Amino acid sequence: MSTTGVAATEQRRRVRRSALLWALIAAAFYLGFIIMALLRGAK
Amino acid sequence: MAEVLTHAEPHDEHDHKPHGWRRWVYSTNHKDIGTMYLVFACLMFFIGGGAAMLIRLELFSPGLQFFDPQFFNSLTTMHALIMIFGAIMPAWTGLANWMIPMQLGAPDMALPRLNNLSFWILPFAFTLLLSTFFVPGGAPAGGWTMYPPLILQTGAAFPMLIFAVHLMGASSILGAINVIVTIMNMRAPGITLLRMPLFVWTWLITAYLLIAVMPVLAGAVTMLLTDHFFGTTFFTAAGGGDPVMFQHIFWFFGHPEVYILILPAFGIVSEIIPTFSRKPLFGYEAMVYATASIAFLSFIVWAHHMFTVGMPLAAQLFFMLSTMLIAVPTGVKVFNWTATMWKGSLSFEPPMLFALAFLFLFTIGGFSGLMLAMVPADYQYQDTYFVVAHFHYVLVPGTIFGIMAGVYYWLPKWTGHMYDLKLARWHFWLSAIFVNVLFFPQHFLGLAGMPRRIPDYAVQFTDWNRVSSIGGFGFGLAQLLLPYIVWKCVRGGVPAGDRAWEGAHGLEWELSSPPPFHSWTTPPSDAVIARGAEH
Repeated sequence: MSTTGVAATEQRRRVRRSALLWALIAAAFYLGFIIMALLRGAK
Repeated sequence: MAEVLTHAEPHDEHDHKPHGWRRWVYSTNHKDIGTMYLVFACLMFFIGGGAAMLIRLELFSPGLQFFDPQFFNSLTTMHALIMIFGAIMPAWTGLANWMIPMQLGAPDMALPRLNNLSFWILPFAFTLLLSTFFVPGGAPAGGWTMYPPLILQTGAAFPMLIFAVHLMGASSILGAINVIVTIMNMRAPGITLLRMPLFVWTWLITAYLLIAVMPVLAGAVTMLLTDHFFGTTFFTAAGGGDPVMFQHIFWFFGHPEVYILILPAFGIVSEIIPTFSRKPLFGYEAMVYATASIAFLSFIVWAHHMFTVGMPLAAQLFFMLSTMLIAVPTGVKVFNWTATMWKGSLSFEPPMLFALAFLFLFTIGGFSGLMLAMVPADYQYQDTYFVVAHFHYVLVPGTIFGIMAGVYYWLPKWTGHMYDLKLARWHFWLSAIFVNVLFFPQHFLGLAGMPRRIPDYAVQFTDWNRVSSIGGFGFGLAQLLLPYIVWKCVRGGVPAGDRAWEGAHGLEWELSSPPPFHSWTTPPSDAVIARGAEH
């Protein structure tokens, strides 16, 4: 694979990793807040 | 970005260019999606503006003229929801889609399919929201703040409202993820964080704010939903709940939301003023840190929206002083913009006119905000038209003028044609005059004690209400010029040139006008970056 190909692959890997990280953070906030509220409400 | 990247290799998911309706429905191209966001925002601006015209029509005279109070309350509620979530936020996302890849030397957004999804959620959300006008009980009428217990009295529209809010929130979060991932991973080599244009910086901070606070809104409305349908009593005093808790949760979202609406405007003004002053921006790094400070402070001021619910003196003092503290970084910005113009070679094309009006009129909104921050004064102003005047000064000649400035600044780049400058100047002057006729008298009405969210009022308030309504109709009519100017420009006109404005700097001006379907298929050279990334 050429140097540019390696760099592009690396960039895609970083984009995927970064997207996954932020998706997890957002989902944790989004679902976490709702679940926490509902669990407290159920007490 | 330490490594040298090139975009010479085709990105499979970016490269197809469908035609006809497929180009738009299946689009993964940042410019097409940006255009769709902007068109959608414009449509919502006119629908929300239509609701505002009906409100001003009803308030033209005391007494009930045209609408019953319930429908009037629906109009105010829907006007706010449509303008905030349907017009302003999508307009910013549209501008982000168009400009961020071009300004960073990237071929597209990092997550093009997610980009498509986050846009296409919106028409469903707003179809759902707008259809509440036709269900039994009518559209939500409890205010955009959705305070219980009032909002729990909403009829069949209630679950539709909650689901629509969830959809809007999901769309915003997906858009924010895309912006962050793009900025952190797709910058061309040489574009370090502190070489990014201010518009990109302000959007990056806005995206963090979105991810932090939209889930809070989602949680709050979900609790409303369970209170309404599943027997919980989060906000019902009879069951041990606390309606004031909703206000705390809502404003923990709501105040950062205000900055979500305004920060990108700060970025755009920071691009436009240097261009038309023909000078670099004064205090670039200070502007970045001021933006970050404002974002941080936005999380610790929420209770200034609810001083009158009754809270301990220490809390009142804390929220009053923390709110006043926001004036410091905001003042840094205002002084830096002013210093940028100092001894500059100024010219007053439409983007600069809108940016200058932003500077003056947003500052008026800031000052009235300081007045509202003072607890004893706020006890007098709470729920009066003074508050309405304050936030409209921030949101209309602030945010909306920021969007107009951005559109008039980059329209020649997008279309390749210079628009009709004379008509755009007309648009500016009519907007600038009528926006003051519309909102300035509302300060007087509020100080005289006129409450907000009412369809009728005491006769003593008639004169200023009439002036305000005339301003409203004038402002509304003036906005019709915008789609006409854009449409005319898209159809043709004098070629704009790659650098449409003599003093413009930034990588977007190094591309052709209109830019190619994929912005930077090869990254900009060092020379181009040195020329384009200068502040």
